[in-house]
Amino acid sequence: MSKLVIAVPSKGRLQENTHAFFGRAGLKVTQPGGARNYRGAIKGLQSVEIAFLSASEIARALADGAVHFGITGLDLVDENIADPASAVHIVTPLGFGHADVVIAVPKSWIDVENMADLGDVASDFRNRHGRRLRVATKYVNLTRTFFAKHGIADYRIVESAGATEGAPAAGSAELIVDITSTGSTLQANNLKVLSDGVMLMSQANLVASLNADWSETALSGAREILDRVAAEDAARNVKLVKAAVDDRTQALRAVSNVGAIQRFSESGSTGYVSVLCPKDAVAACAKLLIEEGADTVTVETLDYVFSKDNPLFAPLKEKVGG
Amino acid sequence: MATAGNTPAVDPAKIDAVLDLFQAAGHAQVSPPMLQPANVLLDLIGEDIRRRLYLTQGADGADLCLRPDFTIPVCRHHVAHGDNTLPTGYCYHGPVFRQRPDGLGEIPQMGAESLGRTDVAEADADLLALAIEALSIFGIQDVAIRIGDETIFAAVLAGLGLPVVWQRRLRDLFGETDKLAAAVERMAGGAASDDETRDVRLGFLAALEGADPKAAHAVVEDLLSIAGISAVGGRTPAEIADRFLEQAALTRGTAGHGKAADALKSYLAINTDGANAVSALNVFAAKYDLDLKQPIAAFEQRLGALANKGIDPARLAFAADFGRRLDYYSGFVFEIHGDTGSQDGPLVGGGRYDKLVTLLGAKTDVPAIGFSMWLDRIAARIGG
Repeated sequence: MSKLVIAVPSKGRLQENTHAFFGRAGLKVTQPGGARNYRGAIKGLQSVEIAFLSASEIARALADGAVHFGITGLDLVDENIADPASAVHIVTPLGFGHADVVIAVPKSWIDVENMADLGDVASDFRNRHGRRLRVATKYVNLTRTFFAKHGIADYRIVESAGATEGAPAAGSAELIVDITSTGSTLQANNLKVLSDGVMLMSQANLVASLNADWSETALSGAREILDRVAAEDAARNVKLVKAAVDDRTQALRAVSNVGAIQRFSESGSTGYVSVLCPKDAVAACAKLLIEEGADTVTVETLDYVFSKDNPLFAPLKEKVGG
Repeated sequence: MATAGNTPAVDPAKIDAVLDLFQAAGHAQVSPPMLQPANVLLDLIGEDIRRRLYLTQGADGADLCLRPDFTIPVCRHHVAHGDNTLPTGYCYHGPVFRQRPDGLGEIPQMGAESLGRTDVAEADADLLALAIEALSIFGIQDVAIRIGDETIFAAVLAGLGLPVVWQRRLRDLFGETDKLAAAVERMAGGAASDDETRDVRLGFLAALEGADPKAAHAVVEDLLSIAGISAVGGRTPAEIADRFLEQAALTRGTAGHGKAADALKSYLAINTDGANAVSALNVFAAKYDLDLKQPIAAFEQRLGALANKGIDPARLAFAADFGRRLDYYSGFVFEIHGDTGSQDGPLVGGGRYDKLVTLLGAKTDVPAIGFSMWLDRIAARIGG
């Protein structure tokens, strides 16, 4: 039976963040033989194999079904996979690798603020210069789809593998479509983003391939990983709140209004409550408990909250029909 | 053949008969290369075609594509090899290649092109008649013929006294009914901007421009040059100033163009048969007080030429909004469908492309018209 193969970025900040993400879920990625080995494992999980790939290869590998899971940006999913909805399933966003794919034009174009302006310039440009406006980008498919949506046809794409932001100054294109996280590179190159020119807000996602061979082993590996990921995720959003109150039933009713729920039925002392409370409602919950007679309310951070129903695994299982 | 197993094929003898017909009508058969320079096609057709092209690279790094149609390759052939005596005619038969989600991306086509005839109305009629005759060789008689004419739309736009920006925007969208309708709606609403700071800025410039357009232009150009901005991104400061003031003018006239929008809506809704088209156009022109004499006369002349070829105008369906969004198509377009209500693509598509041969490098203006026959659809039609 084939193992669950997870593709992770092989270098850079994305790799560090990915390892940190697995680390939080109590999963340690090992790379036997050091950074030059392109296969790795997760300590203690026999049914999982790690493939270290370059960021751009991961989306392809997912589309081909060569790997089961991959950690990659939405930009690369949308750019490199022809019909993302039928080829992959987005398991969960990971909260890092935030960046936007944007359309940026020279700052000196004071007459261009939005896509409608750009459309006007594009058709006028052709009359004036006898050629089409050129857009430098590596996001050929995203750009084409976005421009078509805005009814702009008079342009040409100039494929650019690197340093796209330099294209207008170098004279190889008039404007660019590129990914940016802070905008500082665009700023430095005297480019500005159009007001409605954000084509895609991307971040790193855990993505599942729908074309991979989902054997029993792979599915159980996925369940094991996602249980830990979901448990860590759930734990991050709640606190354990404890107090001794006058009347437990009444206190539980009161705190349920702020979303705090008792997960285990208590035996023993009738005045003791222990509830899981949404992180943001902790102070409100404590106040309510004090009103219910508590002298002291303690709040604890949890490492994991495992549940029988896994909100990450269930939709995946449905899609791959395991 | 596994891939083509369920694709009905057209009888080769009939294809030969149609090629004979084309040649007898003065169209010499040519076989332009399957591999074409991708740049030329993308420039002429636009990036929209890219997702449908089969792209590859030559050893020298040049981007090549499998031909997605015949018209451009045939015209390139003419420019490269033609002996330049005009008028001339070409015909062809072979596959074109377009990526499509279902079915094989290799589609058999044949067709004819006529280059350099200055008796435009007669040339239009001859080619449409030739297409109809070719279909009848394949055994298809009952057809629905749609015609359109962008030159009338262009004349309507010019006659409405719209700002140049709007004329350009609307002309660019001709042939895309929904997008065009949305743009006309936007124009009627006065193209309100939701950006206040920008409105203020433009309002200021509008006032400035109202006082003295030349001075306003100079001020904007000066400001750009003070900022040390030269021709960044391929546009000159003068060009940017032009458009900035053009926008200002649009802002000043925010009253909207309700009346023009009404006229356009009413024009685009004209949908009638060829016999009634001229009177419908005249009624429209009179109602909105537009001078459309010239394009309507040309339209009428074409109908006359068609009648002379035995094609009763009553058989033709004229739709004012029917056009092809390819900017080398310059006027008359037609499509022949198997059934009136058919949702499938046309069996034949054709039209006038007076600008194409010049764009490909011809020294003189070459009026041209041609059509392509979709042999896969024709085969399906015969088979069904």
